[in-house]
Amino acid sequence: MPMTNRQIVKYLRVWFKLATLAFKIDLSNRFTAVFAITGKAVRFLFFLGFLFLLVGRTKTLAGFNLSQVVFFFLTFNLVDILIQFFLRGVYHFRGQIVSGDFDLVLVKPINPLFRSLSERIDVYDLMTLIVLIIYMIIFLSTGQITITLGGVVLYLLLIISSFIIGLAFHIGVMAVGILTTEVDNVIMIYRDLSAMGRVPIDIYQEPLRTFLTIIVPIAVLMTFPAKALMGLLSWPWVVFSFVISGVFLFGSLRFWKYALTQYSSASS
Amino acid sequence: MKKYWSVLKITFQEYFVYRLNFILWRFRSFVQLLVLYFLWSAVLPQGTVIFGYDQAKILTYILGTSIIRSFILASRSVDVAGEIGSGDLSNFLLRPISYLKYWFVKDIADKVLNLIFSTIEVSLIFILLRPPIIVQTNPAILFYTLIAIILGIVLYFYLSFLLSLIAFWTPENVWPPRFLAMVIIEFFAGSLFPLDILPAGIFNALRLLPFTYLLFFPLNIYLGKLTVGEIFPGLLISLFWIIVFYQLAKTLFKLGLRNYAAWGR
Amino acid sequence: MLASVKSLFRRQYQEVKAVDGVSFTIDEGELVGFIGPNGAGKTTTLKCLSGLLYPDSGIVSVLGFNPWQRKTEFQKQFALVMGQKNQLWWDLPAMETFILNKEIYEVPNEQFKKTLNELTRLLEVEEILKIQVRKLSLGQRMKCELIAALLHSPKVLFLDEPTIGLDVVMQKKMCDFIKEYNRRYKATIILTSHYMGDVKELCERVIIIDKGKIVFDGKLEEIVEKFAPQKILSVVFSKDFDLRKLEEIGEVEELDFPRAQILVSREASNAAAAELLHHFPVADLNIEEIPIEDVIRQIFSGKKIKSSEE
Repeated sequence: MPMTNRQIVKYLRVWFKLATLAFKIDLSNRFTAVFAITGKAVRFLFFLGFLFLLVGRTKTLAGFNLSQVVFFFLTFNLVDILIQFFLRGVYHFRGQIVSGDFDLVLVKPINPLFRSLSERIDVYDLMTLIVLIIYMIIFLSTGQITITLGGVVLYLLLIISSFIIGLAFHIGVMAVGILTTEVDNVIMIYRDLSAMGRVPIDIYQEPLRTFLTIIVPIAVLMTFPAKALMGLLSWPWVVFSFVISGVFLFGSLRFWKYALTQYSSASS
Repeated sequence: MKKYWSVLKITFQEYFVYRLNFILWRFRSFVQLLVLYFLWSAVLPQGTVIFGYDQAKILTYILGTSIIRSFILASRSVDVAGEIGSGDLSNFLLRPISYLKYWFVKDIADKVLNLIFSTIEVSLIFILLRPPIIVQTNPAILFYTLIAIILGIVLYFYLSFLLSLIAFWTPENVWPPRFLAMVIIEFFAGSLFPLDILPAGIFNALRLLPFTYLLFFPLNIYLGKLTVGEIFPGLLISLFWIIVFYQLAKTLFKLGLRNYAAWGR
Repeated sequence: MLASVKSLFRRQYQEVKAVDGVSFTIDEGELVGFIGPNGAGKTTTLKCLSGLLYPDSGIVSVLGFNPWQRKTEFQKQFALVMGQKNQLWWDLPAMETFILNKEIYEVPNEQFKKTLNELTRLLEVEEILKIQVRKLSLGQRMKCELIAALLHSPKVLFLDEPTIGLDVVMQKKMCDFIKEYNRRYKATIILTSHYMGDVKELCERVIIIDKGKIVFDGKLEEIVEKFAPQKILSVVFSKDFDLRKLEEIGEVEELDFPRAQILVSREASNAAAAELLHHFPVADLNIEEIPIEDVIRQIFSGKKIKSSEE
């Protein structure tokens, strides 16, 4: 979908307006926010503590030392929160479909995927993201992991590629939602599968490892960027990552187009 | 008694109608199990011993907690919050059926189904991956394990019911407090790791709290690591917390009903 | 229990033709009503016109565009309002959704302000724009939904059951507004409803759909002529008489002395009236059409309108 400059501006303005509206709603819901943030923070700290406990003793996990394992975990969180921040609308999609309000989204001169995924942007995700990024920079600057400039560039590019794969998954989930109105369970499958990437996927035995690399590329999503930063990712795999993200995105958009032709919309 | 039997039947039927929901739920549990399994297998390759656990013990622990959590930590009483929030609670208050008992029976239906599927999943892992596990044969130990499990079921039921009662005071915001509570409960129940690998001071403090009795305690008995002299105090503490939560649940339910009626539904 | 286990393994779906061989043309500025019972296919047709549904066969063209392609240019020129569906954000004032739409439709600031003012004045909603939508009444909400849909001055307007759930006063206000909008802006409006009141009030041209097929397409008045081969003689008598003799004139539908309603065939209505006046003690006599509602109801129930021969 080639976009003119004017269109890009328009989409940016709409995105900011959506974010502002979501923020205004969230402001009135501070009670929820406190618990949700605390819950996520606690969960993060617990797992981090668990990793320290575990790898601190054994000194190595599938060949990686503690610092590296922690960095894998941090990268997982980065990708996860990044995707959640931009694509939160998927959790409200089912409601839109079932009530039929999605009709009124489809009818507007704005990409329905963009519109639906960008609903309810959570400003607290943004805050979490910033805190996480700051922590990661500090972590890296302590030199526990040797990094090169090339590694950092590759890391950033691969994070973008991971985002694209995540986007493709979400589009796929929404297409399934149109066909079956089943959204929440499917997105949770994605969440659980991607959570397998909390630790380097090298710990998984074959054929699971191959499955997680090629079929459901969690490895590409979570493990590869960190590996690239540490200079542990060979070129074929780097290329593979970009190819896979392109293929998945293309496939998911196709699937979405097909789903729309089958859309029957809630009858009145 | 018959009416509770029909509640059981209806809950089963609800599941089959929402079959996709259920299958996906089981799939998710399976994936979560896989992560833990592989993590621990990687950390404790065969022959090593850490924190007093060898691979067989730790994998038995992980698989064991996976099975029992499927029916201890699963509860339909999450829906209580929904019923309170939507006003459907009124329907029940009109009927000659005890609300607590009703949910308990619904829970059982849920638990039986979960148990069946969880056993299938664990068997799958067993067949495919052939982990070394410990099979307990001492009937006394098995007996105590069973008691601990039953106590765990009842304990969690009241705990979960309590959490749902939040709906009486904040009907629109039930999920976040519950989410936070579950994160804490699951961690301290020992779902990620056996709690006795924690430093002794922390561990002893945790033993006084109710959470360890949900998952860690039953499995600990099963693994044969406790003498009878150590089992009984544990069962008593577990019982103590059950009584505490039961009283809290009853009291808060009454209080909440007063609040509820005030809405004029 | 056996029934439930079966459904675990297999579910069957049936194919239903929602719209079957529907064809029509509508010109600019027309105000057309679609009537039909529930499930007739009116909403499905509107959805095809809006580009929401993908027709299995046939051609749809609105403003020269194929709606299914959902081109931005096309979408900026029409609006869809559905009686029970919302585009307003629940927890915020309607104004916020208006601004969001302004960005989505790329409405220039000046035009936005002007249109907003006109519409709020017409619908009398100046005070409620800053109130949370969830706190508004159904009538107020519908008005705001309309405004949200019209801010970009669409040339074509699709209204699906716009007055559903509204009280009688609100319904009238809605109809007045729609009529005024059509008159002032020459917008083409297609309206579906199963309230005859709306249609009678607003539409000259009416399309009747039943079971996915078009049953009638033309002026409202013509429906009665085409589908009701009878007229009603509405009589008030001045004196008592043997009422059974009335059967000679036509079919007596209602008899509550001194009033009566007699069905006679259309062609014979004048003769029958004359007959009545001659042979019976008539105080007052009117020749009336069968009410449109009855005609339409009979079309939908598939029964033939009673004729005097039966």
